[in-house]
Amino acid sequence: MTETTTGELPVKRTSSGLIPGNIREYGMYVALFAIMAVFAFTTHGIFISSRNIVNLVNQTGYIAVLAVGMTLVIVIRHIDLSVGYLSGFLGAIAAISMVSWHFPVYAAIPLVLGLGVLAGLLTGFLVAQLKIPAFVATLAGWLGYRGALQLSTRATGTIIIPDETFNAIGNGFIPDPIPHAGFLPNMHLMTLIVGVLGIVIFIVSEILGRRALRDYPSERSPMLRWILKLMLITALVAAVTWILAGYQGLSWTAVVVLIVMLVYQFITSRTVLGRHIYAVGGNPEAAELSGISVKRITYAVFGSMGLLSALSGILFAARLRSATTTAGQLFELDAIAAAFVGGVSAAGGVGKVAGSLIGAFVMTSLSSGMNLMGLDISYQYIVRASVLALAVIFDVATRNRE
Amino acid sequence: MTSAEDRPAVVEMRQIKKNFGAVQALRGVDLTLKKNEVLGLVGDNAAGKSTLMKVLSGAYIPDEGSILIEGEPTSFSSPMDARRQGIEMVYQDYALANNLDVASNVFLGREAVRTAIGPISIMDNRFMEQESKALLNRLKIDITSVRLKVERLSGGQRQAVAIARATAFDAKVIIMDEPTAALSVAAIAKVLDLVSKLKDQGASIILISHRLEDIYQVSDRLIVLRQGRKVSDTPVEGDIHQFRERVVAYMVGARNDFAEGGIS
Repeated sequence: MTETTTGELPVKRTSSGLIPGNIREYGMYVALFAIMAVFAFTTHGIFISSRNIVNLVNQTGYIAVLAVGMTLVIVIRHIDLSVGYLSGFLGAIAAISMVSWHFPVYAAIPLVLGLGVLAGLLTGFLVAQLKIPAFVATLAGWLGYRGALQLSTRATGTIIIPDETFNAIGNGFIPDPIPHAGFLPNMHLMTLIVGVLGIVIFIVSEILGRRALRDYPSERSPMLRWILKLMLITALVAAVTWILAGYQGLSWTAVVVLIVMLVYQFITSRTVLGRHIYAVGGNPEAAELSGISVKRITYAVFGSMGLLSALSGILFAARLRSATTTAGQLFELDAIAAAFVGGVSAAGGVGKVAGSLIGAFVMTSLSSGMNLMGLDISYQYIVRASVLALAVIFDVATRNRE
Repeated sequence: MTSAEDRPAVVEMRQIKKNFGAVQALRGVDLTLKKNEVLGLVGDNAAGKSTLMKVLSGAYIPDEGSILIEGEPTSFSSPMDARRQGIEMVYQDYALANNLDVASNVFLGREAVRTAIGPISIMDNRFMEQESKALLNRLKIDITSVRLKVERLSGGQRQAVAIARATAFDAKVIIMDEPTAALSVAAIAKVLDLVSKLKDQGASIILISHRLEDIYQVSDRLIVLRQGRKVSDTPVEGDIHQFRERVVAYMVGARNDFAEGGIS
């Protein structure tokens, strides 16, 4: 063998220079920024008013937690259509447990979360054990939970939730125990501190992450693009923090979403479970041959989806201070759309929970902005459809390039 | 290869039979792999070579016959069980997760754990990367970074990763199923180089291939299967043209004069 044949087998390049290889990751941040800027302009600033941003965050909350769970479901090449009505039904159970069964709030919430896990494991059983396609299994769930929701709210219609602690999850704000002493008198200092802390942690972890890639220059994005990304995200977080602090501060919904996001981010990137979830998504046969139980991973992912559906139901019921007959309607589609907009690939194995969170913000920002503009609801659906279609076209196009 | 006779056997398969309904895929096959030996396994389609290797790698349970590893009788309940007992299989389609990087694939299913909190085990990514890097260096595999996703590697590089993965955990036996089938000429040369290197480092290898020149180049001994029976078991020696002619004659059944150890 000659030198020319031994030294080759070059790495296939994904980026052609001008278009960054990981544009999928940046695309949605740019999209979110652009959407916010456009709506800020077209609504004469109402869109970025404190009140609206708070509403936006709280509206996104119950979709965002679903989108986080849906990300993992799609990563392992399945889908879950049942989560919307499951969320509505479990919200109703939360209401009934407090109103009719006189459960205290700290018993009602674990009960509902537990039921959510059970419901998720049931889906897991249908998909993993009985090998029913997830689409069909969860379509059955969609119908079943819709029926269950109507049954449970039939007697009274809307069930009003009187418990203020419960309702605070969807409407309340974190306290501000820090004395102002004349400094920034109208600002919510606790929120500012949380925001600054968040930015610092984000930047430090990005720098550490980049340092860890020191020996892998091919895996590093160019310095300039990396700095742009840092600035963009920092600006976004700083702007939202400032706006929230100028109003009533960080809402409990935002806190819940942040915790969910951090926990899932950690599990997917640092733990064996997370690694196995992505392995199953990338190549189920190879995963099985490597001793990974695809069945167990499927149970775990659907179980987590059930848990997050319950959490979504709690957030929504708390926000409305009631359980309604139509709670959860179309949530599943919003969550799926959010995941796809956030860079999850329909082919499986690819997608990050942070992306889906951004995707959820994109979808609710669109609704919120168009509502403020007074756009007819029919057109709103069409616009959202176009954004979803664009996201998937983008996914397929960037994938084919590889 | 006079010393080969004295070496202990790593694997002995005795009178392995496997039926699929009315089809007798294996009709009593013996196979012995000596320590630090490269054994070629050839045969026409449906000769039983894949079935035999699936029995050895735990994917099939034989109807009859016994398996001994380093002299100890054993059995496998699953591919994972076989792997735990030191039998590593490199699959024809590589069996890699293309969405994960090289290091993740090397350690797939055997991740290094730093701390475990209940059911949640936190991985030691640094350790796995360093080990993978050392492994690639040891085998002189030419991949710039263990953080590269497998989907960005060429076919030859993927095959190299699959082979490296099989050697990462002190395997007693490495079975390679058609490792050169889907590769370019240059990549084939690299993979065969890798097989020779593994042998130099003490590995015991079974190589399934329909490319006789590959077998000729790297194997010490060759077994030919035909219709579920062993029809030849011979050292790899002599001129390649004669070797090929002889093997093909056994493969297609033109010759049927098998006696252990010899070709006249």
